[in-house]
Amino acid sequence: MIGFLLRRLGQALLLLLIVSVIGFAILHLAPGGPLSQFAAGGDMTQADLDRIAEQLGLNRPLPVQYAEWLWRMLSGDWGRSYRDQQPVLHVIGSHIGATLELMLTSTLLAMLLGAWVGILGAIKRYSIFDSLATIGAMIALSIPTFWFGLVIIYVFSVGLGWLPAGNRYTVGDGSFLNQLHHLIGPCIVLALVSTAVWSRYMRSSMLDVINQDFVRTARAKGVPERSILLRHVLRNALLPMITITGLHVPTLLSGALVTETVFTWPGMGRLFLDSISYRDYPVVMGILMFSAILVLLGSLIADLLYGVADPRIAGSH
Amino acid sequence: MSMAEPMLAPAPGFWNSPGMRRFRRHRLAVFGAATILLLTLACIIGPMLLPYTDTFIDIRSRFAPPFSGPHILGTDPLGRDILARLLMAGRISLAVGFSAMAIAMAIGIVVGLVAGFYEGALGAALMRLVDAMLCFPSIFLLLAISALIQPSVPSIVLLIAMTSWMEVARVVEAQIRSLKTREFVQASISFGASSKRTMFRVLLPNAVAPIVVAATLNVAHAILAESYISFLGFGIQPPTPSWGNMLESAQSYLTSAPWLAIIPGAAITLAVTSFNFIGDGLRDALDARQD
Amino acid sequence: MRDIHDPRLVSNWSLNRRALFGLGAGALAATSGLAARAQTAAKPTAPPPAKPTGVVVVGLSQEPVSFNPLMPGVEVDEVVWTSVFNSLWVAEPDGTLRPDLAAAVPSEGNGGISEGGLAWTVKLRNDVKWHDGTAFTAEDVKYSLELINSAGFKARTRVGHAFVRDIVIRGPHEISWRMEKAYAPYLAMLANTHIVPKHILGKAADPNTAPFNNAPVGTGPFRWGTRQPGDNITLVANESYHGDGPYLEKAVLKYIPDLTALYAQFRTGQVDLVIISGIPANFYQEAIKLPGRKVAVAPSGNLEIIMPNLGNKVFAEKAVRHALYAAMDKQAIIDAIYYGVPKPTESFAPRESWAFNPALPVQQRDLARANKLLDDAGWKRSSSGTRMKNGVPLEFAVSTTTGNQLREQCQQLIQQDWQQVGAKMTINNMPAAVIWGEFYVRSKFESLLVGTTFRTGVDPDPASRFASDAIPVKGGSGGNYMQWENAEADALMKEGQETFDQEKRKAIYFRLQEIVREELPILPIFQYAPIEGVKEGLIGYRPNINQRQNAWNMGSWYWAK
Repeated sequence: MIGFLLRRLGQALLLLLIVSVIGFAILHLAPGGPLSQFAAGGDMTQADLDRIAEQLGLNRPLPVQYAEWLWRMLSGDWGRSYRDQQPVLHVIGSHIGATLELMLTSTLLAMLLGAWVGILGAIKRYSIFDSLATIGAMIALSIPTFWFGLVIIYVFSVGLGWLPAGNRYTVGDGSFLNQLHHLIGPCIVLALVSTAVWSRYMRSSMLDVINQDFVRTARAKGVPERSILLRHVLRNALLPMITITGLHVPTLLSGALVTETVFTWPGMGRLFLDSISYRDYPVVMGILMFSAILVLLGSLIADLLYGVADPRIAGSH
Repeated sequence: MSMAEPMLAPAPGFWNSPGMRRFRRHRLAVFGAATILLLTLACIIGPMLLPYTDTFIDIRSRFAPPFSGPHILGTDPLGRDILARLLMAGRISLAVGFSAMAIAMAIGIVVGLVAGFYEGALGAALMRLVDAMLCFPSIFLLLAISALIQPSVPSIVLLIAMTSWMEVARVVEAQIRSLKTREFVQASISFGASSKRTMFRVLLPNAVAPIVVAATLNVAHAILAESYISFLGFGIQPPTPSWGNMLESAQSYLTSAPWLAIIPGAAITLAVTSFNFIGDGLRDALDARQD
Repeated sequence: MRDIHDPRLVSNWSLNRRALFGLGAGALAATSGLAARAQTAAKPTAPPPAKPTGVVVVGLSQEPVSFNPLMPGVEVDEVVWTSVFNSLWVAEPDGTLRPDLAAAVPSEGNGGISEGGLAWTVKLRNDVKWHDGTAFTAEDVKYSLELINSAGFKARTRVGHAFVRDIVIRGPHEISWRMEKAYAPYLAMLANTHIVPKHILGKAADPNTAPFNNAPVGTGPFRWGTRQPGDNITLVANESYHGDGPYLEKAVLKYIPDLTALYAQFRTGQVDLVIISGIPANFYQEAIKLPGRKVAVAPSGNLEIIMPNLGNKVFAEKAVRHALYAAMDKQAIIDAIYYGVPKPTESFAPRESWAFNPALPVQQRDLARANKLLDDAGWKRSSSGTRMKNGVPLEFAVSTTTGNQLREQCQQLIQQDWQQVGAKMTINNMPAAVIWGEFYVRSKFESLLVGTTFRTGVDPDPASRFASDAIPVKGGSGGNYMQWENAEADALMKEGQETFDQEKRKAIYFRLQEIVREELPILPIFQYAPIEGVKEGLIGYRPNINQRQNAWNMGSWYWAK
């Protein structure tokens, strides 16, 4: 077990290194730079721009810049934002809360809804409900998230006036109810894809278990159907779902970014877009590394939990 | 994604092959295929039948709502005919979808084949690269690059392909690794077939089933990706319309002219859903275990 | 509640707008006096409260992130700067300078500026305190000016400051220095140079990363409160402020990264005023009818122009520039895309500026004239419809920032206009960070559709944009990215910098505008007209073209009742 963990950890570090090289190269090889925003206004002279580029160390060779970045990263210093001079971790920390709030609530919603649809679909396989759920999940996976957000806003904010069109809370009213009211729209939008994924996996996981011998045996013994479902099937079907949650992290992060844009949600997605536009290299790198770590952590936890649940797996990895 | 078994038995006539029969039984898949066919035809022929071109600007008739005058689906903020733009945009979006898929498949298949066939250090290195690329949430990677490149149709196609070949590589690699242990492959190798020949003549044809499924889903993914990039303003540039950039210029008018947002969004959803239905149908059809 | 929303990648075009709305200024008197002080008390409808009360929520579409006023920042950052800090003097809406930290604005008349502009002496107020209670002295001014010029400091700009030599403290509240050369625009530069505290920033190991930069301490009417990154900043009243106000207990700067959403919140009353980027033009007609809101066009010194690269074969020819200008339908652009809100312009100076020349020839759309100009210049129509001359087609790209929908629409209109005279224009847009990088500053573009300013700070001197020694790609250090070279213009701009008398400078800049209109190194389309909105009952909001943003006097704002 320890050996497995160490190996996975080593692998993860190697991956992070590759990720950092790819990310750094993409950012720095592209034309333009963090000073572009000041150039267009005609307010700062070329001499000013050149001087600041020099001061930021932007005109040194790329490998040198990367090596320096990596060295500082290894000593725990993620660098400072070009925009507000704050340490990158601090910048990420001050935006992560809003994103986590959105991701956790929508995951919870998706789990409950997805599990319900998936279980019902599996029990009543090939029923009208099952077919509709299948089609619905497929469409949910095909709708552009941002467009679904627009439709939600158009219907529930513009049309019916039930929901606010964006933001995390009303200025001057930070009450829990107010925040909850603002959370509904983005939560539904972000949960759409997850619900579809969950219901599909839940359904097939249930079907796998239903067809297994011990269920057939229980059924043959005359154990009531309801009890079979709850005690045998559901318990065993939920196991693989743990992995799904872990592996779903990247999709969820992507979805959060788009959802935050549509609903002007002040989270990591917004921060990422702002930072990309300003070419705030340290923050963009920070977010890329941070999300890569989240993704790896997600899959590691998935593996570990799965390993704990089913000891045979751990050894085979 | 369920892994399909390779079809070893030659098919007795394409249309009546068991796979094809299963596909035809899959009503949603047939619906998807029909929709895509119709959509493609409409996009190819449609613009020629319309009295307007997609770039004809008529400021006086801007913001005409759908079904209310000579413009069937209304007009946009510059008074251009939305139907004409929708169909021309369809050409671009579908072309982007197919070409991005083709490139992504090419990269993914080669990487997967090489990694699966040689395994060892080379295979491990390639697969770690795949893993690393998968560590980036896809939108993050798409946006990071698209904010930095000069947008054009080819560059957007390349960008999408570059960020969507990894799943294919994984599928192919797994398939090849399992195939390699089979007798007929071992036989081929022992008869002195070159590595290249073994890879492309023996292994690849037997891995076709999952590749076809992955390709279909990849088109769906590419169309979606184009719409995301364009929506965020980094995509295909005007005056060339695409479904995505029609949406981009539509958001500010959500209250006053909602059709600008609804029509292209519906087109994207329809196309992507259809491709996903086809992919699903193909998966069932090509999966021999089903019957 | 009815809400609307416009989701898109705000950062992308907000950066571009951020970059595009440069300084908002033009009119600036070189001489001024205490008389200007009376201006501040512009007939209030209700008396201000005795004690700071109430909160104002200022809606901004970009997030203020740079709080050290001497480091790089844009308009939204200045909202914080002008509220937390003070400069030696302040530019008023009418162009006069009102002393702030200084007791009087130095001039040749009062002896503050002597030796033909080479020696400057400034007397400071003695009743000013930093927010932490420490007294403000000449040391702080010396420190601020020296910090700007110190090697490792990421100063926003050294324009003007670089000429400062031999700073001498003549007493706790008097300071003098010498200038390497006479430079009249420096008065305007100082009006926008905020003074930072020596006793705090001077102690920091590295002023670039000092904690001060995220918790600034100033002398201004508001002190730094709290910041919710990505959402809002709260400023609180400085009750021991030396000047007028503050009358508000708190000011909340709310970041809403989407213009439509911002407008919606202004309409529902969650936001008290919308400034800088303002209300989108397509809501103008609706907005002016809103009950309980005052919505009006604010002056702005920014121009929307086509910037040709004169290093390009096609644009190098003056006849081509004139023909293209004549073929443009400026009014259609303004009416159709910008809802008729902004006004067409012919000058590089804003119409509110004292240096603005109102007698320039007015562009008329005249396709016949455009065609004739091109025919006469030897550009012959080819079979494809595109003109050719010596094997060079009349073909070029116009670039702007991706995702800026209004600009994209504008490009497509111009494209159609120019096609009619045989010029083939292509659209080549790029993300903001790309287009305003090397592509722009190394003059790699063919032409740009851009909003920018042609001034030095809030002074009308455009030398850094038009002088032939300001072409970066030719070794210059300015922002003459169109690579325009004109000897007469060079001489005029040099003379303008060395002249302190406003009437004489006026004559110089009038002539300069005529030359620019004749040579067309830029094709001006319109002067920006941001639509700003204020909730009724908020007293004291005064748009000011001589500031970069209109919350410049927030200390004087208060709620009627």
